[in-house]
Amino acid sequence: MEEPRIGVYVCWCGTNISKMVDVEAVTKEVGTLPGVVLSKNYKYMCSDPGQDLIIKDIKSHNLNRVIVAACSPRIHELTFRNACEKAGINPYLFEMANIREQDSWVHTDRTEATKKAIDLVIGAIRRVRYHEPLQKRSVNVDPATLIIGGGISGMTAALEIANAGKKVYLLERTDHLGGQVARFDLTFPHLSSARQMIRPMIQRVENHPMIIVYLNTELKEVSGYIGNFKARLVFNGAEQPEITFGNIIAAVGLKPFDPSVIAEYGYGKFPDVITSLEFEDKLRAGRILTKYGKEPRNVAIIHCVGSRNKQYHEYCSRVCCMVALKFVHEIRAALPDANIFEIYADMRAYGKGHEEFYAMTTHKQIIFLMYDQQKSLPLIREAYRDDDCNMLIEMNELLSGIDIEVPVDMVILMVNMEAHDNVKEVVRTIGVSLCGNQFFIEKHPKLDPVATTTGGVFIVGTCQGPKDIPDSVAQAKAAAARILATIAQGSVPVEVTTAVVNESFCCGCQTCISVCPYSAVSFDEAKKVSVVNEVLCKGCGTCGGCCPAGAITSKHFTDRQILSEIEGIMSMSY
Amino acid sequence: MNFRPTIVAFLCNWCAYTGADLAGTSRLHYAPNVRIIRIMCSGRIEPTFILKAFKEGADGVLVCGCHPGDCHYQEGNYKCLRRFKLLEKFVCQMGIEKERLKLEWISASEGKQFAELVNEMTAAILKLGPGKVQKTLELEHLKTN
Repeated sequence: MEEPRIGVYVCWCGTNISKMVDVEAVTKEVGTLPGVVLSKNYKYMCSDPGQDLIIKDIKSHNLNRVIVAACSPRIHELTFRNACEKAGINPYLFEMANIREQDSWVHTDRTEATKKAIDLVIGAIRRVRYHEPLQKRSVNVDPATLIIGGGISGMTAALEIANAGKKVYLLERTDHLGGQVARFDLTFPHLSSARQMIRPMIQRVENHPMIIVYLNTELKEVSGYIGNFKARLVFNGAEQPEITFGNIIAAVGLKPFDPSVIAEYGYGKFPDVITSLEFEDKLRAGRILTKYGKEPRNVAIIHCVGSRNKQYHEYCSRVCCMVALKFVHEIRAALPDANIFEIYADMRAYGKGHEEFYAMTTHKQIIFLMYDQQKSLPLIREAYRDDDCNMLIEMNELLSGIDIEVPVDMVILMVNMEAHDNVKEVVRTIGVSLCGNQFFIEKHPKLDPVATTTGGVFIVGTCQGPKDIPDSVAQAKAAAARILATIAQGSVPVEVTTAVVNESFCCGCQTCISVCPYSAVSFDEAKKVSVVNEVLCKGCGTCGGCCPAGAITSKHFTDRQILSEIEGIMSMSY
Repeated sequence: MNFRPTIVAFLCNWCAYTGADLAGTSRLHYAPNVRIIRIMCSGRIEPTFILKAFKEGADGVLVCGCHPGDCHYQEGNYKCLRRFKLLEKFVCQMGIEKERLKLEWISASEGKQFAELVNEMTAAILKLGPGKVQKTLELEHLKTN
């Protein structure tokens, strides 16, 4: 092995790290360790001057190993690997020490945090010595794309990709395209018709020569990897011929919350307590009538049903406030004399044109009543015989502090958006994960909101989190652009940190074959040894973890590397 | 001297390590004595890694992977769990208290749970006092020499 010549760079990250970690002390402490040629600190290592510093040093000091102690490797590992490559050394001869997310940001004692940073850097120094150059590999990209979900997000992405001349398989489990938007009457804040928007779009999708639409179809199984996926689809219980594609977009959306679990609202008990989606149905039918076939004289709209309430869902569904205001316009146009009550917890009008829309709505002779979610929900009950209405809402009006009764003939519940029941199956099938609210997790919440940690799998629309039509469309187009870019490139880099079998140590027990989730290990009957298919291997290292003979090496996570890292981080602790 | 326990934590890249990063981005504070080692999957963890950490003087070892069913590699966490059960027995037989070795599932969104976990484990180990593996090894070493 060549003698290691290590360069260590400690990042201040402005004050993010330097405030809690004495970067000067870290730099000094590790500078004299065996193999370390130089040790420096700089304000922002990820900046261009920071990277240039590394590149220059590699060349002038003949460095063959580089360590950056900075943020999480999940954020900038690739940045620095690229810098190493630019300077002419293999990108895998680099290692990162996470002294921000897992040190300066979580500790309050500067001495302890500095000590920890030193330990982590020593761990990296010991580890990097055993790093080996790995060669990049790439695979060809199948130009077809599978889109799961035929709502507005899925259709937008499908059209974007198909218009570039690339094939799209659009999968929808119901019998029609359009998703939730197909149920809407008007949209906020411009009160334009959802139907006029979605109908032509559905037609374009259905008639597009590059889009193959599968209705009533479920996704049974997905196998393969970025650029080269395969799927089995099930149509009406019958399995379809296998399809192949290079990328996946999940656009499975969300579904309306079922308010029958909230006892106070009596949904299911009172026929004229309906959900916002059921009210959209009435609007599209062109008639607002109660169960008794009469026009309601008093209509109440209750906000935050199932939202912003720890008992149901803690998150805000983002669109319901504006939809509720939209209802006001539609009700006022249809029933000029009706009393309209907006029973809200907070009015959220954060988007473009929303605040103006809110202001405009206040001129529609409606009564805004506020309630406190933390204290109690409004209670809907039957009216008394001689009351002039069907139901009464008992509530404490927050701004006046007074207990009031609101007469109503129809109550619209602004229901939350929540995950579909089968969402766990979907994420398992396509190999991505969910956050605590059962939304799909993006690769990076700010810098990469449409990708996932699984290569070739993208997420768009509400399955990533509640959002309105413009946000869903923007996300769909972003994912389409990402996919078209990889198709244009023709190939994508794949995992190089795969497993490899040392044939002379392999005892032929085949334990590795039984634990591999990707069937990447097979048995060579002639040689009586296991063989890893590097294209199928995703580098989890499970085979290496269980090999009794120590014949399997998990590249970049070898025993030697990990054991040395352990020695390093513990070397100062006594 | 005040006893400051050292915990070596092995975190899988996709769930637990991301969860620990989230604790950072959420500025949740926890005990500064945990040293995290990133691995791609909890299925990669060999008993040797854990024993090595104890040998090097760790007062506790923490292993975190994705929740059952959420493994990025489908089921590496189950494989880790099976091996762990066996290792737990072995470690106890070596005279290491069971509180010093822990396997927990942490999802990418559970920054808070991770911070709490580290604090709880630190508190438990503080009660137990320093790990004895290294001292024992030193004694053995003296005997044989």
